[in-house]
Amino acid sequence: MLLQVQELSKIFNKKGHKVVANDGISFNVDRGEVFGLLGHNGAGKTTIVNQIMGLLKPTQGDILLNNSSVVRSPGIARQICSLQPQSQISLNEITPQAAVAIMGEMRGLDKKTVKKRSAELFESLRITEWVDKPSEQISGGVKRLTAFCMAAIAPVKLVILDEPTNDVDPVRRRYLWDYIGGIKKDGTSVILITHNILEAERVVDKVAIMDQGRFVSQGSISEIKKKVDSLLKLELTPANSFNSIELPEWIIFNRQQNSKLIYKLKPEHAQQSINWVMQRVDEGKIIDYAISPVTLEDVYIELTTEERRQS
Amino acid sequence: MSAIVGIKSVMKMQFLRRRGMLSFFALLFVFLSFGIITGFNFLIGNATSEAILYLSTGAPAYILIITGLVMLPQLVTMSKSEGYIDYQRTWPVKRPVLLIADTLIWLIISIPSVILSIVFAHFVYNPGFSLSFTVVPGVLFTSLTCIGIGYGIAFLCKEEVAMIITQITVFGALMFSPINFPIENLPEWLQAVHRVLPVYSMGEAMRASLAQTTFTASIWHYINLGIWCIIGFGGSMLVLSKKR
Repeated sequence: MLLQVQELSKIFNKKGHKVVANDGISFNVDRGEVFGLLGHNGAGKTTIVNQIMGLLKPTQGDILLNNSSVVRSPGIARQICSLQPQSQISLNEITPQAAVAIMGEMRGLDKKTVKKRSAELFESLRITEWVDKPSEQISGGVKRLTAFCMAAIAPVKLVILDEPTNDVDPVRRRYLWDYIGGIKKDGTSVILITHNILEAERVVDKVAIMDQGRFVSQGSISEIKKKVDSLLKLELTPANSFNSIELPEWIIFNRQQNSKLIYKLKPEHAQQSINWVMQRVDEGKIIDYAISPVTLEDVYIELTTEERRQS
Repeated sequence: MSAIVGIKSVMKMQFLRRRGMLSFFALLFVFLSFGIITGFNFLIGNATSEAILYLSTGAPAYILIITGLVMLPQLVTMSKSEGYIDYQRTWPVKRPVLLIADTLIWLIISIPSVILSIVFAHFVYNPGFSLSFTVVPGVLFTSLTCIGIGYGIAFLCKEEVAMIITQITVFGALMFSPINFPIENLPEWLQAVHRVLPVYSMGEAMRASLAQTTFTASIWHYINLGIWCIIGFGGSMLVLSKKR
């Protein structure tokens, strides 16, 4: 096992108030595994990462990397892990090409390897045309991808990516997910913090859903999905008001998401629901619809909402 | 990875990241070195040779003070608030490497203007320099103390406090510090303060190195500088290494 996080707790003391950022967190990451950390803003995800990197000291618990305690020897983490931080790195005048090359050299790669690997990285993410421009002249998305390249240029045991797709356009996000899938095949482990849950579903092997400093669920995607019911999801975009559609009793209202209404239904009502929806489409009451199995994002929303209701 | 490779890589990253600003600072220090001597000469008018010697030996110390105690903490504070310092702390190098690399960059951009100020003063005013063998270690020691304290200010103080300290230093070091004039010109209470603060010792160390036949610096000044240097670098290392 590459990473073992054991009963990790972190309590901050802010102006006399105790803030519990992590509360008894335990998880393992194996070699070549992508571990997804999902949770609302302020759920405590980045605090976990900062403790793994040795920037923060756990209040309780331990973190083992290659069976060595990061708490006792924080230098280990910096040698075998690389981090793409959540905030944009202020690279100012340096070009992405130079910044990535320097990180490669710092991690012990020779110039030839750095050149080859960085060219591959830039090409995979389709950002080659910007890599010789000063970073202050490039877009936020390319800056974010540069930070990813800085973390991924040299082979390390664990790459930690804290919201790597923020500001990145949908096309390049796809290239990024593909690249992450590639490093995983090389045996590199990845911890991935993201709000792009639907997209992340493609690359993660294991997931933990966090809320208010605790894991509310963790396991493989199929295990997590089993935590909620096995109903199908029906998404409707009504033409006018939400109240203009009368629903049959076998459609259960779940939630409203922007202009969409999300419902649930039993799998045996699938055919019936398609007929019902098509009729409403013909009548002009519904402009868009989708029927799908429950996604990781649905589970995430359900689990974190339920957790909040209980607390 | 060797420490040398680490220092080289960090220096490269730090310099290229702010190359425009750092080059501007280097140029600014050169103008500063000329400006202090000629500007004060205008201000005083018909300056005595003793006053010229004070100005010419004070200018290098003033450049180092502005570098270490003003420009450096301002840039480091900016990096700190951008989260860049925390990012640096995740790099695969030992923490002292970060400080050593940055210190070397600041030495490289400030030392040329110190040398130029001495050469300029010598050829334009001929103030009567008599260099001591302590000039190289003296300049280095003063620079390191300034840089160390600058880091201390940036790392140990809150952003707003660091900015206030640097602003006060610009004015205070120029007008109320015995760098360009004898300490006896100040009121007694300020003399007492300056005997503890490092600025007076910096001026004295530089003066004794540049005009050894006219000035001497007691061992206390070097001890004082050493203490401030350790406080600055030590405090910075503590903050860099500390896990919150």
